[in-house]
Amino acid sequence: MSLQSPAPHPNPLPASGAREFPENGPRAFPLPVGRGEGQGEGQATATRASARPVWGVLTGPYALFLLCLLIVPFANVALYSVHPYSPTHIVLPEFTWDNYRKILDLYYLRLFARTLQLGLVTTIICALLGYPLAYWLARARPRMQTIGLFLVIMPLMVSTVIRIFGWIVILGRKGLINEALIGLGLAPLKLLYTETAVVIGLVNIFMPFMVLPLMSAIERIPPSLEEAARNLGANWLQMFRRTILPLSLPGLISGSLLVYSVSISAFVTPALMGSPRERMAGQQIYDEVLVSFNWPSASSLALTLVLFTLLLMFAALFATRRAGRIEPGSRETSP
Amino acid sequence: MPDGIELEVVGLTRRYSPEVTVGPISFEVRAGEFFSLLGPSGCGKTTTLRCIAGFEALDAGSIRLRGERLDDKPPHRRDVGLVFQNYALFPHLTVFDNIAFGLRLRHVAKPQIAERVGRILRLVDLPEMAARFPAQLSGGQQQRVAIARSLVLEPQILMFDEPLSNLDFKLRIQMRDELKSLQRRLGKTAIYVTHDQTEALALSDRIAVLSHGRIEQIGTPGDIYERPATTFVAEFIGSSNLIAGHVVARRDGEAIVETQTGLRLRCAANGDDGSGAVSVLIRPERIRVEAPGSPAGSDDNCFAARIIEVTYLGEDLHIGMELDGGQVVRAALKNTGAARSWAVAQLVEIVVDPADLRLLRR
Repeated sequence: MSLQSPAPHPNPLPASGAREFPENGPRAFPLPVGRGEGQGEGQATATRASARPVWGVLTGPYALFLLCLLIVPFANVALYSVHPYSPTHIVLPEFTWDNYRKILDLYYLRLFARTLQLGLVTTIICALLGYPLAYWLARARPRMQTIGLFLVIMPLMVSTVIRIFGWIVILGRKGLINEALIGLGLAPLKLLYTETAVVIGLVNIFMPFMVLPLMSAIERIPPSLEEAARNLGANWLQMFRRTILPLSLPGLISGSLLVYSVSISAFVTPALMGSPRERMAGQQIYDEVLVSFNWPSASSLALTLVLFTLLLMFAALFATRRAGRIEPGSRETSP
Repeated sequence: MPDGIELEVVGLTRRYSPEVTVGPISFEVRAGEFFSLLGPSGCGKTTTLRCIAGFEALDAGSIRLRGERLDDKPPHRRDVGLVFQNYALFPHLTVFDNIAFGLRLRHVAKPQIAERVGRILRLVDLPEMAARFPAQLSGGQQQRVAIARSLVLEPQILMFDEPLSNLDFKLRIQMRDELKSLQRRLGKTAIYVTHDQTEALALSDRIAVLSHGRIEQIGTPGDIYERPATTFVAEFIGSSNLIAGHVVARRDGEAIVETQTGLRLRCAANGDDGSGAVSVLIRPERIRVEAPGSPAGSDDNCFAARIIEVTYLGEDLHIGMELDGGQVVRAALKNTGAARSWAVAQLVEIVVDPADLRLLRR
């Protein structure tokens, strides 16, 4: 490790690459989608004996990739976080909890509170806007579904900077919305460089993370269940509340979890669209790494954020599993 | 509305595209009757059922339940129970909650719900399964829960969409008999959709045979089997030998038909079988196969034949025979007595009673 010889610029971002996609984001994605337990178990027992060496070959390369490029740097970050900061050496070879104690300062508490709140608002808006969309996609004809899916995923295919530039054109002081408001004789609004702008930007990018798991959950619910509920006397809303909603809960949980965890660690969007005074945790970490070179402090912040996200993941995973316990039924009753 | 008519379907039409249209279909279901819609897949039987349940809108026609217009009501206000092909049990609810689903929507009081669910569970013989989830039940048990879930609401009509098709053979027979005795005991009007003619024959009071979105014939199982109205019904129900020919003479209630291969058949001139081109229906089990020169061979409808195929089915033997002139007929014989010795290439005589032949317009 580079602890003893801190070169000034060994690696600009020790934790990982762009903060827009945190460590757990991409890996977590397949997990909520393939949440059925029964299926996996059956396959595992059937092929265990013969498949064991193949498993290693199949997962080995990526495991090695993760080990070198994620686990080792991350361990490095963890080490930084328990060493004191020195303006001359960046890190001193002593042990301390001070970096974590500092998080209890009002400034950092506010930073985290703001970050978590923005994440929550983003998640709720994504759920409210994404649910109807996911339902429509799940029940659409294959061709419409393909087109719809393409449109939903599109934001992910456009460069973040270009997308944000688009939003600046729309939300800016002399942007599309304000020009329209002025044209109507109304007072212009301050939209850009506010938390509202950040939420708009985050919802825009992370909507697919909500829609995709939700859609796959709703797709597994046979339409005959809806009809059965209607036939038993439920109007559409009652049917939705008593069948679709509880049965799609695992998808809703996975989607919310994904959106929440990528939102609270977002960096580019809040940096370009948010207020410089009301920052999110990702920006703070970036500044402490690259501007003030306080790597120990940045490490403790990053680790706290990651631990919080992990905690949330496990809580949600637990909830999904409990909901998933009855899941095999939907498969057996509707072959 | 005549008395005792429960459901009246008049001119039901559903257009999917100019080529794919169901209807116009019209039929009446009497109170307490077990009525089946029978036909191959794509004949419109499930569409008809879904129209009655309200999942498909009518393009034309009307549906009345006890004289009251049904087709303009939303599905949840129709009071017709439907048992789905895959049962459509709610996987996240226990058996009890599945059955209580409709009662809760109707705001039935809690103690009453418990009482009614308990009663219906005893009726379908599953009293100890209330706390189980659907996934923990066998196919037959799920089927019974699905029936109980509809039955507990005491709908005016109970409808079944191929309810036995997901069960294995033995269970299918068992559930078929249970279904019938349950319906008889409750006296509930039932509409049953199936593509399985055996099921329809065994269960129904009356059957409507559908093909290409139209009704071919409505009648009792006996009518449908013994006196099919069209060649489609004759071929779809049971197995059949259909021989094309012309009526060449008629005398006192009998018609003489000359087949295309030159055979002359004496038939009871049953029904409105027309005069010219006809098909003669012979059910395989009504063909007698005799050794050549047997005394029965003096009859008119007696033909020399050569066995070309023997299929051994255990209970039955199916024997394919070629008549003079190349006409092939199939006979179904019980696996007893002389029938057991028939072998391919043997020469035999076949005998058919004129009353067992049916003329159908071609």
